[in-house]
Amino acid sequence: MPSRDYANTRYSGLDEITTDNVAKLQVAFTFATGTLLGQESAPIVIGDTLYFVTPYPNILYAVDLTQPGGALKWKFDPKPAAASQGVACCQPVNRGPTYYNGRIFYNTLDAHTVALDAETGQLLWKTRVGDFNYGDTFTMAPLVVKNKVLVGNSGAEFGARGWLAALDASDGSIAWRAFTTGPDSDVLIDHAEFKPFYPQYRGKDLGVSQWPPEHWKIGGGTVWGWISYDPELDLIYYGTSNPSPWNHEVRPGDNHWTNGIFARDPDTGKARWFYQFSPHDLWDHSAVNENLILDMQWQGQMRKVVVRPERNGYMYVIDRVTGEVLAADAYTYITASKGVDLKTGRLIYNEDKTPSQGRVVREVCPNSPGAKDWTPSSFSKRTGLIYMPHNNMCMDWEVKPVSYIAGTGYIGVNARFYPGPGDGNVGELMAWDPVARRKLWGVPERWPVWSGTAVTAGDVVFYGNLEGWFKAVHAQTGEVLWQFKTASGIIGQPTTFRGPDGRQYVAILSGIGGWAGAMVSGELDERDPTAAKGFGNMVGELKKQSGIGGMLYVFALPR
Amino acid sequence: MSGRKHICAALVVLLAGCSGQQAALDAAGDQAATIGDLWTLMLWVCGFMYLLVLIFLAHAIWRARHALDAEPLTHGSGSRAEHPLRMALGGWVGLIVVGLFVLSLATFFIDRSLAQARTDDALKIKVTAAQWWWKVEYEGMAPDQRVVTANELRLPVGQPALLELHAEDVIHSLWIPNLGGKEDLIPGRINSLLLTPRREGEYRGQCAEFCGLQHAKMALDATVMNPDAFTRWRQQQLTPAPAPSTPEQIRGHEIFMSGPCAACHQIAGTPASGQTGPNLTHLASRRTIAAGARPYSFEDLRDWLRDPQSVKPGNHMPVVQLSDSDLNALTAYLDSLK
Amino acid sequence: MYSRCLASLLLLGCTLLAGCERETRAFHEEAPAINDVSPTDFRAGGTPRPVAKNPQAAEYERNAFHISEGKRYYEWYNCYSCHAAGGGDIGPPLMDDEWRYGGEIEQIFSSIVEGRPNGMPSFAGRIPEQQVWEIAAYVRSMSGNAAKDAVPSRGDEIKTTKPLTQVPPTPERSEPPRSNR
Repeated sequence: MPSRDYANTRYSGLDEITTDNVAKLQVAFTFATGTLLGQESAPIVIGDTLYFVTPYPNILYAVDLTQPGGALKWKFDPKPAAASQGVACCQPVNRGPTYYNGRIFYNTLDAHTVALDAETGQLLWKTRVGDFNYGDTFTMAPLVVKNKVLVGNSGAEFGARGWLAALDASDGSIAWRAFTTGPDSDVLIDHAEFKPFYPQYRGKDLGVSQWPPEHWKIGGGTVWGWISYDPELDLIYYGTSNPSPWNHEVRPGDNHWTNGIFARDPDTGKARWFYQFSPHDLWDHSAVNENLILDMQWQGQMRKVVVRPERNGYMYVIDRVTGEVLAADAYTYITASKGVDLKTGRLIYNEDKTPSQGRVVREVCPNSPGAKDWTPSSFSKRTGLIYMPHNNMCMDWEVKPVSYIAGTGYIGVNARFYPGPGDGNVGELMAWDPVARRKLWGVPERWPVWSGTAVTAGDVVFYGNLEGWFKAVHAQTGEVLWQFKTASGIIGQPTTFRGPDGRQYVAILSGIGGWAGAMVSGELDERDPTAAKGFGNMVGELKKQSGIGGMLYVFALPR
Repeated sequence: MSGRKHICAALVVLLAGCSGQQAALDAAGDQAATIGDLWTLMLWVCGFMYLLVLIFLAHAIWRARHALDAEPLTHGSGSRAEHPLRMALGGWVGLIVVGLFVLSLATFFIDRSLAQARTDDALKIKVTAAQWWWKVEYEGMAPDQRVVTANELRLPVGQPALLELHAEDVIHSLWIPNLGGKEDLIPGRINSLLLTPRREGEYRGQCAEFCGLQHAKMALDATVMNPDAFTRWRQQQLTPAPAPSTPEQIRGHEIFMSGPCAACHQIAGTPASGQTGPNLTHLASRRTIAAGARPYSFEDLRDWLRDPQSVKPGNHMPVVQLSDSDLNALTAYLDSLK
Repeated sequence: MYSRCLASLLLLGCTLLAGCERETRAFHEEAPAINDVSPTDFRAGGTPRPVAKNPQAAEYERNAFHISEGKRYYEWYNCYSCHAAGGGDIGPPLMDDEWRYGGEIEQIFSSIVEGRPNGMPSFAGRIPEQQVWEIAAYVRSMSGNAAKDAVPSRGDEIKTTKPLTQVPPTPERSEPPRSNR
């Protein structure tokens, strides 16, 4: 699976590549993806085969690692509907395939899930899980838990109603579907089993009553991020995205159950607890980031926690048994809120920044992609640190009238982004100590860091930047030990694996795109600062530093 | 003879302003009454001064006629007229100062009392003005108890209502003379207006700040009702729109949903979720069409749907070409939205 | 001297009258009909097949009222959410000089009404035709192709793009998409 393990650590036990020899890394082979719109997929390696998915048209490549230079073993073209590109908010990306029991599962942009035979590439089943005519698309990587393929939709920018569905891995039939909005029966809340820690989640049908009449039907809260699973407690954890539309004036109320984290029973889908990071979201601070499942020392005792770097700028430590927030520490410059009230669990918004129509709110930090977007962090068991890509950006924000018209964007906001205070460096790879609750070191980056990270037992952290540099960083000191300039900006997820020849390899997809790279890969016009929902305002030299591309790079130490 | 007729006609017109649906002097609420009191005070003070001026003027004219032979006033001390003249002038100035002072104080305190809205038990209503209609939203106990309507304001008698005033495009001003004073609605600003209605009835509010082509046809139908009726109305507004029942209504429903209507208008309980135009969920329970441009009736509604640009030229509702039978079906459907 | 005076007066009169046309507000106009509009003028046999221009359609991009209404509807119908203020987002930029499906007002009209295969939805029956023409005129104005005296010199929203009066007209080209998008 893209996140390496159910705990989402992205920690590899391989230690051939170490801090001492990483500087000698060189390209083992490359492989063209044939597509150009943002390569977010994690390559995964099963046996002798490497698999990855391209952005639309979502071709799955199986690369035979036994052949010198990695030959194509087979490829699968699902032929997703071209029109679904029009409802992909931030380019038609795909975050990767997943493997389970001899099968490869992945999602296509037009809201289908496919299952392939991992050996032959033969299509085993294909299920239409959503309808892109109403804004449902798929960008996330599925997770398979107990023979259930968990998939969730994207499309909160189009008024799609969010859900997480569990498909039977053997035949693709839908076992259950948990909506993010609507009556308890749709959200799979059974009050006998649902025990949230805070009282604001305990009422009946809050997914209806915390919305203006009927609005929950087009209320967003999509599930396009990462799912974690704790086999011991037998619970899955996942985040729900922003409510629709971004213009908050249209949707008074706390907008349950958007922008929060659910703990659910994977067999039935029933909710166990919930916590809402950003109630009544003002800034598209979509709460879909990864949940790192850790058992750690907390005030003298071991606690089972979820550590969650959240888009609103706080690092949450949540008891994963009860849903109690133990800590929420700011890890970036924040003006949008004033902290988290640990007693009530509520985010304290900065009243001065509340947007209303006709008034431009300035200096809102973090901006809507947040202090950290979907880009997954990693956790090393050896160092006990979390390696997290994150950004320091602010924005001006103006809400505008908006109508829900199915199949068109449902946003209602005019925004422009700019770097937050500081030296102009927007991104950073940061090492965070979850026990001491502080940052240890950071590697500054000129542009937002839009790639995932991976850490190895050799104490090397891998990640890439928008200019296309793929970097290896010392996991303890933060020293950049090696870097290589790929053809295009990197927004993918690094993978490290042991090849058929016994050597350790590192793979990354290079190819700019996604939200942060759309200005480049979409050939958008930066004369409009609101292009790409605000990134138009901070393109700067990026178009010169990174071209459009799509290429798999695999590195290894020289023989 | 004809002169008298004219005076009578003028008087009728003038006096008509003293009562009715849109009359500042016919107060039906605390705020209008307070402003009315201030008006009365101003009338008395200014009237008294006016009367005095007239008396002096008359005296001067009379004196001029009858005292031509009187000794002319002379400057300098020792003149016989000097003392009373000084007294009179001093008194006059004093009177003016006191009068203005009373009026200023009264205005100041009344303005203050109107501005210091006691909002604890007030009904909270968000009013948004757009060219050229009013969007009215009642805040509920929970967000899903929020009632959204357009071009009508219903208030329970006796309960203060706090209006939160927004504007979408240009500056507008809300004035319901029977209930209270004017307040501007300014894009990017939130103003508020407290109204405490005391008498049931139907009143007319109007945009009181020129806001473009159809400024004149931007009325707000205000109804003060007894609290029970208000609660019933509110409950009824919360229900989704009734499903079309007759074949004609069903066809009208299809036309609405598949055509351009649904892109701008919302009808709760249907896929139509447009928000740039007025919410039509209970359109047929309103008394007017297009912000008071026409009274509500089946025929007027059909006229409006056939050619909104004739009824209210320049408004943002486009002319949609429909056959007569489609037009009737659409009207029948909308007319069923009680 | 006299004749110069007369000439100036005539000139002034003409300028004023031109202003009238720019400001005409027609509420009852029939939408211009289009026929024979294709996204490309490339034709087998060698002779290009130009877009059949409709003079009534050209009026739209010379009229301030139509362009400003077009801007309003551009927001109301969520064009904004995919094309931003012309710089593009999910959809391509509209303020540059690349037109995937043709940049004549007739071609823009038909792109809006018919939709295009890579994600542009069809708005047929959803937006009345007069309004589509107004939107198309506004879209033309983004790349400096509407009449300079009909476009506003500033907008009301947060400053987004250069004033439309300062955007130089871009050469019109009808080109198919460059890549496989």
